[in-house]
Amino acid sequence: MSQLSITAKRAGWRFASSLPALFGVLVFTFLLMRVLPGDPAVFFASGPSAGKEEIEMIRKQMGLDKPVPEQLVRYLGDIGSGNLGRSLTTGQPVLADLKSRLPASLELTFSALLIALVTAIPLGVAAALRQGSGIDHLVRFICALGVCVPTFVSGLLLIYAFYYLLGIAPDPTGRVDIFTSQPPLVTGFLMIDFALARDWEGWRAAASQLVLPAFTMALFVVAPLARITRAAMLASLGSDFVRTARSLGLPPRKVIVTYALRNAILPVLTIAGIVFSTMLGANVLVEKVFSWPGVASYALDALLASDYAPVQGFVLLMASIFVIVNLTVDVLYGIADPRVSVE
Amino acid sequence: MTIVKTTWLAAALLASTALPVLAQTRAETLRHVTGAAINTLDPNIPGSTREAFGLSLLTYDRLLSFGKKQLDGKWVFDLDSFKPELAESYTVSPDGLKITFALRKDAKFHDGTPVTAEDVKWSLDRAVTANVLGKGQLLTGSLTSADQFKIVDAHTFEVTLPKPDKLALANLAVVYPVIFNSKLAKSKATAEDPWALAWLKENTAGSGAYIIESFKPGETTILRRNPDWNRGSAEKPASFKRIITQTIPEAATRANLVEKGDADIAIDLQATDAADLEKKGKLKVISTPQYNSITFVSFNNQMPPFDKLEVRKAIAAALPYDDMFKAALFGRGAPLYGATWADGKAPTGATFPIPQPLKTDLADAKKLLTAAGFPDGFSTTFSFNVGQAGTAEPMAALLKESLAKVGIKVEIQKLPDAQMSTLINEKKVPFFTEGIVAWLPSMDYFYRNFYIGPIRWNYASLDDAKITEWAQAARFEPDAAKYAALGKELNTRHFELMPQIPLWQPSQDAVMASSIDGYVYQFHRQIDFRDLSRK
Repeated sequence: MSQLSITAKRAGWRFASSLPALFGVLVFTFLLMRVLPGDPAVFFASGPSAGKEEIEMIRKQMGLDKPVPEQLVRYLGDIGSGNLGRSLTTGQPVLADLKSRLPASLELTFSALLIALVTAIPLGVAAALRQGSGIDHLVRFICALGVCVPTFVSGLLLIYAFYYLLGIAPDPTGRVDIFTSQPPLVTGFLMIDFALARDWEGWRAAASQLVLPAFTMALFVVAPLARITRAAMLASLGSDFVRTARSLGLPPRKVIVTYALRNAILPVLTIAGIVFSTMLGANVLVEKVFSWPGVASYALDALLASDYAPVQGFVLLMASIFVIVNLTVDVLYGIADPRVSVE
Repeated sequence: MTIVKTTWLAAALLASTALPVLAQTRAETLRHVTGAAINTLDPNIPGSTREAFGLSLLTYDRLLSFGKKQLDGKWVFDLDSFKPELAESYTVSPDGLKITFALRKDAKFHDGTPVTAEDVKWSLDRAVTANVLGKGQLLTGSLTSADQFKIVDAHTFEVTLPKPDKLALANLAVVYPVIFNSKLAKSKATAEDPWALAWLKENTAGSGAYIIESFKPGETTILRRNPDWNRGSAEKPASFKRIITQTIPEAATRANLVEKGDADIAIDLQATDAADLEKKGKLKVISTPQYNSITFVSFNNQMPPFDKLEVRKAIAAALPYDDMFKAALFGRGAPLYGATWADGKAPTGATFPIPQPLKTDLADAKKLLTAAGFPDGFSTTFSFNVGQAGTAEPMAALLKESLAKVGIKVEIQKLPDAQMSTLINEKKVPFFTEGIVAWLPSMDYFYRNFYIGPIRWNYASLDDAKITEWAQAARFEPDAAKYAALGKELNTRHFELMPQIPLWQPSQDAVMASSIDGYVYQFHRQIDFRDLSRK
């Protein structure tokens, strides 16, 4: 009970202390967008008959006719009332866009992270156990390959091999085959919604659609995770308690999994948290290649068009997610190593 | 256990029965893949994308639409012939000032209410009164005020013009003057928004061939056929039961999808992919030169050194036309250089653009530069926007190399699209490439909209009294011979002044399954799906 309340208190304090940072991000993004060259009103008034009048109309519509400080105050007021503005690129309210697109990004990122962890931890452990051996070199090679091939290259290669040549993968467009009807919207996560609707045909369609992009992204982050696992395992294998456990004659499996790995998992957790947040923003290329309707490709399109509201909304969302992920990692720390949560 | 078993059984049964149904709907469904997004259901909203224009042609009817004609064996829209849509017929008074439309009596909106002259009046009033894109467009056809539109009776409608205008009818066939269900729209209007702009952005109130089934901006739009629509060929509804338009940002993926037969049609592939697919011969590839568009190299004619005629002429003589055309477009399109004009006069005046008598001649370029006072050349920047990088990048590299040979040092500047539009609007780019499209590609329309006045589309910032005068005169010239004579003057003067250098008209490569029939190149460079059918 006291453990739980300590964790809760810690989480609450952490959250409160990150609020000023969020506010800073908000103001900074706002100012940055206005410093960038390019007038969104001119860009959007690019129809064949758009003249001065149309440009003024759009400028007014976006509130750009007012001085910057006034725009900022209005913007903060809008955020306070939960209004993130309207995107000119899609014509929809930014909040609605983000709401419908975030689950797509999260589903993809979670799956990719899962695949990456499931591959990276055994690889890292194997490399640490046989340091300097062929396995160690092989793992290093895989890691180097994963990092140095950009995601859009590996994505296009996978599409070429599995969709175009072999014809095993479904067409790489979006989250589910276009002819499959969507499940009733509950969570926005298609895998969960299909399961809730007991539509296994659809579930399979969504899962097979997810495989290629998730692998593409996983490939990119296997390297840091495997390297960290290897280093942490090496450190903990060389420590006193492992030596003691071994000398006591405990079975090697128990020594490695219970004693060494449990202690080595903390840094992996930290990196996993960071990797997750970066993936969510950085998977824009994967989203583009696979026409994945996620938040990152949405933000990029908006940025290219100088569409202020969606970019600001996206940065705010990312900052909030970063805060939440850090918080989660903190809590998980406490569970993995109870000493951490003692203040 | 039994429950699990029965669910599996049910699923298996469902799957087995669903298959034939699915296969059937696939044949009646057209899947269209595109790189861009539809962002509004009302084409009039500022910021509408081209895809949104394409959609409005399907969901809404206009009074008329363009007929088609053949151009080098390809079907293209015809600016001078019209097909009835909501108007059964029209008559123009002898003085050209009054157009009377007889409306169809059997046309109905999607909700079943009949289309009447009242709806037409409300919709056209909206197009010239509200803060919509239609306003700027329709004035090019002398349609500027609600007073010009009159209801005669429930099925007769009258438009009056201040002067006879050749483009009045054509303007009623473009994407903006769509006919709304005025009762429905008015019920959604508010005091601040009397024209229901907000509601119509996300809803349709039309009578068109297709009804929106689902609309996810930036992802997919699914359309269902309107079975009551009888404005198609032979008074029939459209051929496809469903149309799916899907946004796929990656051009290579779009090409793969069409090649594998998973998608039926795409019009915005990379030139290499289109050429490649054409060579393989499995698909139907229809390449139509976009006869209403021009890609050009432009200068700001008010800015030194480009304010000097010799400098502009020198650059025109130094461009490696053939190499640029091959590198940028793989030769897919219609060149606008390399013509021979016998007496230095334009061979025709009825149309613009026409091929210019331009060829690469470095010695001549050098001579012209010396005459301009730049024997050793000068330095400048050449700009293009990132969105056109695919074609503009190789072209810019060749331009830089060739101009270096005559002493002009060029720094290439690649600008984000929004920044490029801003700089062009402020007239701050000295030397650049751009493309223009005229929905209504008549000779005078090009000159009036792209070579006159302080507007943004006057890329060259040209200010020439003669061009201005002739272009304005041509607009209202009823006599075809006199019109062509004015055009001949304009075309000749264009070449003499060289305000910008027309390079080519790029091809629109429509790549489709070989079973698709009826493709016509349209003024808005989108597909009119009402034309298409599967053999």
